[in-house]
Amino acid sequence: MPPLALDLAGVTSWSLGAPPPIAVCTWGDVTPIAFTVAFDDSPTLSLAVDVLTPCALDPLASLAPRPAVVSVSARCQSPRTKSYVFAPPAEGAPPSFDDAPQGAVRIAAANGAANAAANRRSTRIRPPDDVVKLQDRLQYLLQPSLETLLADNALAFPFQPFSYQLDGVAFLFPRYSAVLADEMGLGKTMQAITAVRLLVRTAALRRVLLVCPKPLVTNWVREFALWAPEIPLAVIEGDQTKRRWQWHEVDAPVKIANYELLVRDREFVEQPGVHFDLVVLDEAQRIKNRSGTTSQTVRAVSRTRNWALTGTPVENSPEDLVGIFEFLSPGYLSRHMKPRAMGRAVADHILRRTKQQVLTELPPKLIRDAELELTPQQRHTYDLAENDGVLHLADMGEAVTIQHVFELVLRLKQVCNFDPATGASAKLERLSADLEEVAASGQKALIFSQWVQTLDKLKEHLAPFGPLEYHGGVPSARRDDVLQRFKEDPTKHVLLMSYGAGAVGLNLQFAGYVFLFDRWWNPAVEDQAINRAHRLGAAGPVTVTRFLTRSTIEERIDQVLQEKRELFDTILSGAGPARLGMSQAEIFGLFKLARPSLNPPVRDAA
Amino acid sequence: MGTRSEKSPAALGFLAVCDLEGRGLVGGYLLLNAAGRPLEFHCTAPVRPSRAQEILYGPTLEPFLYGEQIGRALVEKSAAKPLAVFTDREAVLAARPFVAAPLALVLKDSAASAATDSAKSENPLFPPPFHRFEYGANVLTLATAHAHDAPAIVERLAMHGVAFDLAEPFERIREAVREAHRDASARSAQPAAVAVNPPTAEAA
Repeated sequence: MPPLALDLAGVTSWSLGAPPPIAVCTWGDVTPIAFTVAFDDSPTLSLAVDVLTPCALDPLASLAPRPAVVSVSARCQSPRTKSYVFAPPAEGAPPSFDDAPQGAVRIAAANGAANAAANRRSTRIRPPDDVVKLQDRLQYLLQPSLETLLADNALAFPFQPFSYQLDGVAFLFPRYSAVLADEMGLGKTMQAITAVRLLVRTAALRRVLLVCPKPLVTNWVREFALWAPEIPLAVIEGDQTKRRWQWHEVDAPVKIANYELLVRDREFVEQPGVHFDLVVLDEAQRIKNRSGTTSQTVRAVSRTRNWALTGTPVENSPEDLVGIFEFLSPGYLSRHMKPRAMGRAVADHILRRTKQQVLTELPPKLIRDAELELTPQQRHTYDLAENDGVLHLADMGEAVTIQHVFELVLRLKQVCNFDPATGASAKLERLSADLEEVAASGQKALIFSQWVQTLDKLKEHLAPFGPLEYHGGVPSARRDDVLQRFKEDPTKHVLLMSYGAGAVGLNLQFAGYVFLFDRWWNPAVEDQAINRAHRLGAAGPVTVTRFLTRSTIEERIDQVLQEKRELFDTILSGAGPARLGMSQAEIFGLFKLARPSLNPPVRDAA
Repeated sequence: MGTRSEKSPAALGFLAVCDLEGRGLVGGYLLLNAAGRPLEFHCTAPVRPSRAQEILYGPTLEPFLYGEQIGRALVEKSAAKPLAVFTDREAVLAARPFVAAPLALVLKDSAASAATDSAKSENPLFPPPFHRFEYGANVLTLATAHAHDAPAIVERLAMHGVAFDLAEPFERIREAVREAHRDASARSAQPAAVAVNPPTAEAA
């Protein structure tokens, strides 16, 4: 990641040049050159400082510079700036300086070329396709660039946004129905906050409701404080009387509520007079089920604009998107639409970028599948459980339900983690060995499991690595402390997380390792978990280890997960027909069972 | 400036001519306030010279079309009286004798250095064709005959605190012109009328 700015102070002159270099400074006989580099999230940076000969400044000699390159590396310290001073050539300097009245240095930061170009970039706000009147479309096209609007409104940023993030702001700004579907870790929160900030400044918004999962409320409060500190917030919380007062009386421009609470407070929200200029749904995949209470409640909120933020607009089937659009623009999509037609219909409403597309400087993500053999004790237990379980299901005949199959799947997956009788675990053996290396190198690791009981066992066995826990059993009030300790305490190398509590919205980019101790049903949820660590600001490569025991139910589920990954890519790119997710037939197929004919259809297992 | 109504905002004119392939030249004129916000926008129907004009005007056809026909018509059409008018096409400078406000060419980065070289000539027998000057980071040129406009432009821009990139609005004009003519095409299969004295379409 490039530094944010080169603040050149005390120089005789300087100018931005075509990259590279991004800055050229000259000095006289005595004036030293000083410059300051401001860091963003990146903890390190490299500068190439070319000390040019004086003749290199002469246009006639510009083809023959003789640079002496000085490489400078720095680690970020507090405050987040680093200063350098280069003195003029002293007596006895190399011959090229001997007869020089002046010297010059050329400073180029790592990836500074892109940064310099971005600084001069002009991001245009273009009219959405549903703005049809020429006069209105021209009003958008004739406005100054987003950079100018931000500058006019004196909107300062703690860090210089990436150009793709400004594109995201320019996308949200004019839209009344929008899905920001960037891959996790690209800064959807910041983009939404900045767009809200700009609209509040231009008086287009006076009341905003932001709805997010409960564990993310504090994260949003923190991000608002960082990116829009001037906007007063009201977090809806407390007992019923307090909440009623907050919904009706508190006049903060932005109110933040979690989904569960919004459902409980539906009667308050539906009352006349409660209207929002904008409702933003974070992790909007929560409303993919149109008949669900959450979806119905959110849709009942009186509002003018609707934005949905999600990294996974399609988790299992195109119907997920239909569910989200029921909130954005009811009736706009139909579950009967073909994927290609749906793709065309939503093209102007959805903005999705992947890390691969926009973050060329993001450290690599190394995924390795650890395929393990069960220990002999586990294998014995597993085979018994599977054989008995399948026989039992077969004996049930037409009475068997999807729940019965799920129970068997979960029981077998737990055996794959730990042998219930002896506690033997092939995964634990491998994990312990890997963590030795992680701890020895001073690194930190996230470990995900779908069961709190599994995390409890891991906590006991991984005591030498200082494990901390972050799951549904940890009170909300303590969770921030846990994250803070994990970040700052050098003896805490492991954070044990459940997919439910730890998969979304957290910034844990200081962790270089992620272990998926067992696999989730849905690859999108796994991706979210991985992206807690692999996101903007990650200091180095993130190594992801996915445990998989051979010849078990895990292996069979993995095949289905692979197909789901393909589905996700297909729908969002509109490249071809969509395959459905884990159907009832597929779940029964895990045990080579036929689906009973009388069972109601089950589409989604995630 | 002293006669300008105090109620009307200070306006800067930006005049661009776009070549819509296969359809002709279209002029766009955008008036901005000192902060770069739009005040007025006008554009012309596509203009295509006749064969007779091509023969009669020869090498002076471009200044005639860009300057006299398109530029002059657009500036005269606008309600606001600009402090100065800017263009990004050299040929538009030919409109200067017909407009009251100073008219300057804004050079982009790459063009600026070339212009610097051409403006360096100090040989009285071959005076540089343009007078180059700067306002902030903007490099501007004037036809030599109107070099005296330079101080007035700098003074007016400075007085109103104009700080934005003067080359940027031309991108807006081009997009708006394309949008307006895409819209016109969508509404009618017939191409817009060719006009020697182009009618102006007020769009903002």
